[in-house]
Amino acid sequence: MVKTFKLCDLDCANCGLKMENAIKKIKGVNDAKVSFMTQKLTIDADEENFDEILKQSQKVCKRIEPDCKIIF
Amino acid sequence: MSRKQKKNLIRIIISALLLGVVYLVPDLYLFSLLGIQISLKPLLFLIPYALSGWDVLWKALRNIFHGQIFDENFLMSVATVGALCVGEYPEAVFVMLFYQVGELFQSCAVGKSRKSIASLMDIRPDYANLEENGEISRVSPEEVAVGEIIVVKPGEKIPLDGVVTQGSSMVNTSALTGESVPVSIKTGDKVVSGSVNESGVLRVKVLTPFGQSTVSKILELVENSASKKAKAENFITKFAKYYTPCVVICALLLAVIPPLISGGNWSEWISRGLIFLVISCPCALVISVPMSFFGGIGGASKCGILVKGGNYLEALAKAKTVVFDKTGTLTRGVFSVTALHPDQCSEQQLLEYGAFAEAYSTHPIAQSVRNAYKGKIDPSGVKNVCEIAGKGVTAEVDGRKIAAGNSGLMDMQGVSWRPCHKTGTTVHISVDGVYAGHIIISDEIKSGAKQAITSLKNVGVEKTVMLTGDSETVGKAVGKELGIDEIRTQLLPADKVACVETLLKQKPENSTLVFVGDGINDAPVLTRADVGIAMGAMGSDAAIEAADIVLMDDNPLKITTAVKIAKHTVKIVRENVIFALGVKALILALGALGLANMWLAVFADVGVSVLAIINAMRVLSTKKYI
Repeated sequence: MVKTFKLCDLDCANCGLKMENAIKKIKGVNDAKVSFMTQKLTIDADEENFDEILKQSQKVCKRIEPDCKIIF
Repeated sequence: MSRKQKKNLIRIIISALLLGVVYLVPDLYLFSLLGIQISLKPLLFLIPYALSGWDVLWKALRNIFHGQIFDENFLMSVATVGALCVGEYPEAVFVMLFYQVGELFQSCAVGKSRKSIASLMDIRPDYANLEENGEISRVSPEEVAVGEIIVVKPGEKIPLDGVVTQGSSMVNTSALTGESVPVSIKTGDKVVSGSVNESGVLRVKVLTPFGQSTVSKILELVENSASKKAKAENFITKFAKYYTPCVVICALLLAVIPPLISGGNWSEWISRGLIFLVISCPCALVISVPMSFFGGIGGASKCGILVKGGNYLEALAKAKTVVFDKTGTLTRGVFSVTALHPDQCSEQQLLEYGAFAEAYSTHPIAQSVRNAYKGKIDPSGVKNVCEIAGKGVTAEVDGRKIAAGNSGLMDMQGVSWRPCHKTGTTVHISVDGVYAGHIIISDEIKSGAKQAITSLKNVGVEKTVMLTGDSETVGKAVGKELGIDEIRTQLLPADKVACVETLLKQKPENSTLVFVGDGINDAPVLTRADVGIAMGAMGSDAAIEAADIVLMDDNPLKITTAVKIAKHTVKIVRENVIFALGVKALILALGALGLANMWLAVFADVGVSVLAIINAMRVLSTKKYI
């Protein structure tokens, strides 16, 4: 399942890159993309664990750039 | 400026003023402690330092606990704290201040360019005026069901695809096609969502739900375009991963090894190492490359060209072989009268005979004859119409017996006819058993097609190929007229794929093959080519799905425009990468030799980002592409 989320207050392009790499490493995630330009996060992950994956992504996001939030 | 940016600006100004004041006050000895005189000035410098940099220091500290070591906050903190430690107080404050100014600049520049690109792509209608039981209410376009009637007032965006049931107007499709001349629309015509109604009130019956409307499809495509990353972007991503740790290690070595070996001045080498730290953030690169591609995609969409990702712009810039489909791409795909060869009467007279004889026929050829005859056809004078399947039609027009059809019909009527040298479908006409001449009907070449082929050659395309399922005579004639290098005719859809496969093998190294089709039956070829361009795709699902680049209007010249935009984007990307890397390398070298100070280092970090962003915005000025 592929879903796109808006990112709020993603200020630094390099942080976006780091987030992308970290989310890709979460178990069950097939692919992830952070677009600094459109301020969007796209996650392609297994459907059954999607909620769990989303929670972990949020954690990762908070760890890398505490100001940035994923909006559902 | 956003609120956050304004707050930062005020903070920077106050810090700068404080710094100025501190800089000017004379050095005072505060007190003596154990015989060491403590100076007041360094302590005073800490005030503007703390004011301008507290958030950076705080973030650095917080991120270390989150396991994020090499982020820019940390690097800036270490660099400035290091500078304070070696006694360079004003420098430390200046660097922090300068860094904040740069960050503010950068965030404004990014925000502004993001907005200006996004506004180009913003075709989303906000509301629809739904008419129910004679009352009009404003609803969101998603709520309107198929078959309902919406009212579009002058100046409003048409929110949904539909057919006009009442009213006439001029409609501007420039947001979709880049074509600024408005189209006239009357009752019964179809209108496309995303275009703007200019003059009259239109009552529109909705044909598709919002989710499947043209505007939704385009928006989806554009919004996803940023997620397909170009090779240059992936290179930067990889580069950024190794660059920062490498520079930080270098900084450490630079600060420690030379003084250990030569026993030199520690603080001198530490400040050189600190300069390295300031330069080690890869942000300029990480921003500028995707920004340039995003700008290219935005600029293209301003011209009515939708690009599905930066990678396609990159591929298109290297195009050396362009393969065209014929019907619908280079030709209009609509039959029309291209020549009139009368024997005894005038051209107009011949056309009139044809138009009247075929007044009742629904055959496409008859329609094109009637369309060519501009005058009014009064069917009351047409009698005894007899259609002969596969041959043509005979009729009595104002008492004269007219036959219009192919050579078989002429033979049947016993009329001697002459063949035509022109390619196309020939309609012979006889009046009262006497041969009157013939009308040639063929698919018309699009007005910009010839120019498109020539201009493609000017932008570096080496070979043009035309593939068609049409007969050899027709195909060759069209190809020759347009000046296409290679023509392959009588191909079935599967043959087209095979043809493209062989062409892919023949193309010059490190170049790409572009296929341009109308998207109706070219889907397999569009996906097989390096870059698939679908044209005239407004409203065609299959084309938007299969193609990598979609031309919203029918103009083949847009292919050249797309190639130009692609080339310009790639050039700007290259400039930005070389510029950013070059400046960083230069300042690293100067820093190691002790020739650069921290100011320069901060410039190399944020100044370069800002310049790269400004450079990236040049792609948006689209005038030179058309």
